[in-house]
Amino acid sequence: MNSAYIASIINATLRSTTPILLAALGSAICSRVGVFNVALEAQMLIATFTSIAVNYFTGSALLSVVVGVASGALIGAIVAVLQVKYKAADMVVGTALNLLTTASTTFLLYLVFDRRGSLIDERLVSLTKINLPVIKDIPFVGRVLENLTFIDYICYIIAIALFIYLFKTVSGFRDLSVGINKTAAESLGTKATAIQMRMVILSGALCGLGGVALAMGQVIMFTENMTSGRGFIAMAAASLGMSHPLLTIVSSLFFGLCQSIGLALQNVIKSQLTTAIPYIATIIALVVFSKRNKKN
Amino acid sequence: MKHITKVYGSLYANNDIPLTLNKGEILAVVGENGAGKSTLMKILYGLEQPTSGEIYLNGEKQNFRSPHDAIAKKIGMVQQHFMLLEPCTVAENIVYGKEPKKGLFFDREGAVKIVEELCEKYGLHIDPRLKVGDCPVGLQQRVEILKVLYQDADIIIFDEPSAVLTPQEVTELLATMRKLATMGKSIIIITHKLHEVMAVADRVMVMRLGKFIQEMPITETNIEEMSFLMVGRHVVERHVDPQPTGERVLDVKDLVLAGSDAKNILDHFNMHVDAGEIVGIAGVSGNGQSELIQCLTGLLPPTSGQILLQGKDVAGHSVGEIREAGCACIPEDRYLWGCAKEATLTETAIMAHQHKPELSKNGLLNSKGAKVFTQRLLDNYDVRNSGQSQKAGELSGGNIQKLIVAREMEQKSPLLIAAEPTRGVDIGAIEFIHGKLLEKRAEGDAVLLISSELTEIMSLSDRIYVIYEGQAAGEFRKEDATEEDLGILMMGGKLV
Repeated sequence: MNSAYIASIINATLRSTTPILLAALGSAICSRVGVFNVALEAQMLIATFTSIAVNYFTGSALLSVVVGVASGALIGAIVAVLQVKYKAADMVVGTALNLLTTASTTFLLYLVFDRRGSLIDERLVSLTKINLPVIKDIPFVGRVLENLTFIDYICYIIAIALFIYLFKTVSGFRDLSVGINKTAAESLGTKATAIQMRMVILSGALCGLGGVALAMGQVIMFTENMTSGRGFIAMAAASLGMSHPLLTIVSSLFFGLCQSIGLALQNVIKSQLTTAIPYIATIIALVVFSKRNKKN
Repeated sequence: MKHITKVYGSLYANNDIPLTLNKGEILAVVGENGAGKSTLMKILYGLEQPTSGEIYLNGEKQNFRSPHDAIAKKIGMVQQHFMLLEPCTVAENIVYGKEPKKGLFFDREGAVKIVEELCEKYGLHIDPRLKVGDCPVGLQQRVEILKVLYQDADIIIFDEPSAVLTPQEVTELLATMRKLATMGKSIIIITHKLHEVMAVADRVMVMRLGKFIQEMPITETNIEEMSFLMVGRHVVERHVDPQPTGERVLDVKDLVLAGSDAKNILDHFNMHVDAGEIVGIAGVSGNGQSELIQCLTGLLPPTSGQILLQGKDVAGHSVGEIREAGCACIPEDRYLWGCAKEATLTETAIMAHQHKPELSKNGLLNSKGAKVFTQRLLDNYDVRNSGQSQKAGELSGGNIQKLIVAREMEQKSPLLIAAEPTRGVDIGAIEFIHGKLLEKRAEGDAVLLISSELTEIMSLSDRIYVIYEGQAAGEFRKEDATEEDLGILMMGGKLV
């Protein structure tokens, strides 16, 4: 295995990590305020569709990103109202929205674009690929960071910002207190429900950005059920990272690595098997982790 | 507070209650469960709105819509069930709501300093950096008090503050209240423990069934008068005559239950209960009592050791086998272990009796027999109900407890384990249940009483064990036991 190959694996890992990390952060902040958000998948998938649709009609990458993020936040808002405000069962709300989004994006693909399966078009513009000057000429590092988009960078900044917000600021402290003991927080005058709703909507926006990265990052296209379970992998990543933004970076990178290894092995093993790698890794990681947790 | 009335449906929780509080004074509000004390305080603290009546503060009419309004007017409340963030530090909990900031950030060091100053000012010492979840209950309560002081409250309401404390912690708490009063804070304490009222209050107000009964300075009353006013009749102090004991019914030898870490939950625990005696186990909750009950009743298999029930080792046997071998149990949590809230009274009553010939034949229940059986229990144990099809969860705590006691007594087993048999029930029910336990003893059966109410243990038991960190820390005969000695052992101290 030569260094160029390793560099390309790392590059692929970084790219596959982005959507997972963003959604995992969305999951983490929800659990931190005591909400179990199952609709991550829907929040991502809607954004893959809306961003590509806007991209197709306007040709503006920026507008695609904005609309993608907003559509994720919209699903988040639905979760917030149903699950937090009206206290509907989390699994039901989440599963319903996930199924609804899968079906409706498929339907809209047919209705609006008269396509089945996927939408690839030369009109679609991609996000600007960033190749940093000087760094791009360093042999190994240059290859590792080749052709990344701004989302691939910004997701780490978001993680660090969330860490600082939650653990270093007063309002972050109040937010965490809601997740620790909602009744206690309320008895001290904190508007717990409002905080929970805000966090769920933010989680929608983060997942939306993740969806955009998926649709307009490595490839520029929409396919039916494009997220294919990444929302659930993200949930696992958040849980492995103990809903801590910085640890979530580590666990998301692990799942990103599994995906890129899966891709790399496609030429060696049957692809039906390699695509299963991230999911098998999810199960193994959760088992190992909960076992260790139980011992503590 | 003038003419406070609160109506829930057709029930008058508070009926035209007056309440006054002077600066620097400690007012005790006493009454049985359901007398309306808590409702009155919730109204004062803004948690509930009165149906009618007014609140005046320093002559000004107030309208509290939420605790927020009350806190703003310098009214604070130390809740019975602590409102704490356990994974957070003492300092974080205290400054919550008015956190010090450094620029954009939460100034945690500043919070520690603030708390240290606050502790100094009021002479209440605690390490601000401790995690609240690691603090014993007494300290957690201190955090609650400091929280209220940090909010700069002038009026502090204590809701049943001593319910969870050891005798020593209670003494400390009462001293704290006195000190706060001399510093000009006005204090309201809600309680049904009359010796505490006598020890700390300046004035006492008695409530019964939602009504104001009487108010008097503490110097002009005594425990007998207050309890008469609370209950509406005289409560007789129970006198239990000693009686000879028979053979050994329960013998626990070297019982060990390993915990998740190196420490054992039950650590070589030894004790025995003979026929015709009540043996009490005293201890601060969380020292292995629950696990001991679960080992004895078969819910948890012990790691090692013997549980001899009438000479037969039943350690690790199933619940059914142990019940068969002669053990009945009034469980500590009536809704978790004692009954199913959705079950009818008939179903509740026949549980664990269902295989008896009068109740079933060839695996089919005899519903007529079940009705007769249930009615007998309901009548004999004075369970107020609206019919056997009523749901267990709809009865009041005292009444469902009486039914559970009835069911377990009816097993007529040589051993009865009574865990917290009177937790959260009113004086009438307490007296009744205590009477039944003594009847069981008089019949020559063995009773193991596990309770966090020290007075209950001391008044009923012939012998008392103290449990501390899973070990039997001491054993007393009734006549040798004092509250002080028990309290010291309960906190892990040594007797000199």
